[in-house]
Amino acid sequence: MFDLFLAELKRNWTIVWRYPLQAASGLILTLILFMTLLAGIRYVAGPAAQYGDRMDTMIVGYVLWNTLVFAMGEIASGLEGEGRIGTLEQLFLSPMTGTRIFLTRALAGQTVVLTFNVVILGILLLVTGTRLHFPAALFLPLATAVCACYGIGLTLGALALVYKRVAPIIQMTQFALIALIMVPFESWQPTSANPAFLLPLVPSAALLRDLMARGEALDPFVFAMAVGNAVLFLGIGALLFRVAERAAKRQGLLATY
Amino acid sequence: MRVLDVADLHKSYRTGGKTVDAVRGVSFSIEEGEVFAFLGPNGAGKTTTIKMIAGLIEPARGHVSVVGMNPSRDREATRHIGAVLEGSRNIYWRLTCLENLIYFGALRGVPRKVARARGMELLERFGLADRRDSEVRTLSRGMQQKVAIAVSVLHEPRLVLLDEPTLGLDVRASEDVKRLVRELAAEGRGILLTTHQLTVAEEIADQVAVIRDGQLVVQGGMSSVLAGFSRSAYRVQFQGDLEPRQRQALARMEVEVDGDTLRYFGSASGLYEVLQALHPLELVSVARDQASLTEVFLQLTHEKAGV
Repeated sequence: MFDLFLAELKRNWTIVWRYPLQAASGLILTLILFMTLLAGIRYVAGPAAQYGDRMDTMIVGYVLWNTLVFAMGEIASGLEGEGRIGTLEQLFLSPMTGTRIFLTRALAGQTVVLTFNVVILGILLLVTGTRLHFPAALFLPLATAVCACYGIGLTLGALALVYKRVAPIIQMTQFALIALIMVPFESWQPTSANPAFLLPLVPSAALLRDLMARGEALDPFVFAMAVGNAVLFLGIGALLFRVAERAAKRQGLLATY
Repeated sequence: MRVLDVADLHKSYRTGGKTVDAVRGVSFSIEEGEVFAFLGPNGAGKTTTIKMIAGLIEPARGHVSVVGMNPSRDREATRHIGAVLEGSRNIYWRLTCLENLIYFGALRGVPRKVARARGMELLERFGLADRRDSEVRTLSRGMQQKVAIAVSVLHEPRLVLLDEPTLGLDVRASEDVKRLVRELAAEGRGILLTTHQLTVAEEIADQVAVIRDGQLVVQGGMSSVLAGFSRSAYRVQFQGDLEPRQRQALARMEVEVDGDTLRYFGSASGLYEVLQALHPLELVSVARDQASLTEVFLQLTHEKAGV
C-alpha cells in the first residue's frame, strides 16, 4: 500500500511538472489567493470562511474547502480521465482492489496539492512576518471531515464507473457540500438527539465551528460522532465503489467512455 | 503445465433493446511456453474473450482459470496476467519509459527497487535502453508498443495477453514484436495473441483458434489446422522445357502445369508416375501443397457470409 502511495505521489508530482504552463498558473493562482487572504479579503476563502473573521480561520477555511472539494471530486474525475486516455483497464489489472487504488491515488494527489499550498503559504508568512494561530486539535475534525468527504468521493467514483460522465453531478454535490459545511445543524437540537449528525460531514463541521468560530474546546462526544460519521460514509463509499466495479465488469463497461 | 483454461465461456450484452451474444461456449487452453493465436474478424468476440480472461469483464457463464485461479473472483490471479489491450494506450504517454515500468510495477505489487532493476533489464532487452528517460509520447508507435509489452511482463506473469500487438507497426517494429513474443514464450510464459496479420500468427503461433460470431469454428495445433484445410496436392518445381511426349503423359494425370511448376492432385503413390513423366528434367523441389493461415481464415469467414 505504501509502495503504491509513493508511486502515485511520484506519478502525480511528475505529471504536474510535465505540464509547465498549468503548473506555473496553478502556483501563481494559489499565491494570489493566499496574498488576498493575508490582506484580509474574506470572500476568496470559499464557504468555509464562515468559521470566523480572523485571518487565521479564513486561511484554514480556504485550505479546508479546497481539500474537501478535491476529496469529493478527484476519484470520479480521475476515473473519467483514465477512461479517456485509455489506461483505466490497466489499473484494474492489479491484485489490489479498485477502492484501494483510487483512494491511494486521490490521497497522493491531495498530498501534492497540500504541499504546494503549505509551501506557498509558508513562504508568504515568512516574507510578511505573519504568524497563524489555531488550536492543534483542529486537525482532528479536519481529518474526519476529509475522510467523510472521501466516502462521498468514492460514491461519485462508483457512479463514474457505471455512468461514465458525472461532472454535472460532481458540481451539484459541491452545492450539497456547501450546505453541509455552512448550515449550523448543531444549533437546531441537542447533539445527542440531532438526526442531522447522521448526514456526512455534519459532526466534523460542527466541531470546526466550535474550535474556530466559537473558540471552544474539542467536545469528545461530538468528536466520537465525527469519527463514526467518517467511518460510516467512507465505508458506504467503499462498498458502493466495489458494487459498481462489479456491475461495470458484468456489463463490460470498464473500457467504454 | 497449463497456464490458462477457458471452459464454455458465454457473454451477452443488451444493446438497443436487443440481446447480443458476444461469446458463445468458447473453450480452449494454453500450456506454458505456448503461443496461441486467437483469430477472428472484427466483432467476432476476441476482445471480449480476452477481457474475460483478464478479469475485466465478468462471464455470464463458464469458467476461466489462470494458474488455477479465477480472475473474476480472485484478484491474486492478476499477478499471473500481463496484458496489452487493443484500442488503449495501456501506458502513460506523459511519463518516461522507466517511470511507466516503475509505476505499473508498484500497481502490480512489485517493490520499487525490484521494478527499477527489472525495468532497466527489460528496456535493454527490448532495445530501448537509450530511450529510458524519454517520455512515451515522443516515441514511435513501435517503441510505444514495446514499452507496453515490457510493462505487461514486468511483474513476470505466467500468461501474457497481447491484443493486436503488431497493429499499425512498420515491418521492422513488427519483426521486433514477433521476436519478443517468441522470447517470452521461450521463457515459459503462455501467450494469447490476437492479430489481423495472419502471416504473423502463422509464423509464431503453436496453436490457433478462429472465432466467428462468438463461437470457435476451428482450433488446434497450427500445422494440423493448416493441413486440415490443405487440399491433397503436391507442388513440383522443375528446370527445363517439357517435351510434347511429357505433356501428353502429364495430361493423363491429375496435374496442372504452370511454367516450370506443376501441381498434382492425385494420390501419394501416383506422384511417382508424375516424377517419372518428368524424367530426365532436373527437379528443383517437391513439396506438399499446404494452405496458408490466410486461406484458412478467409475460407472460414467466407462461410459465414455464405460465399
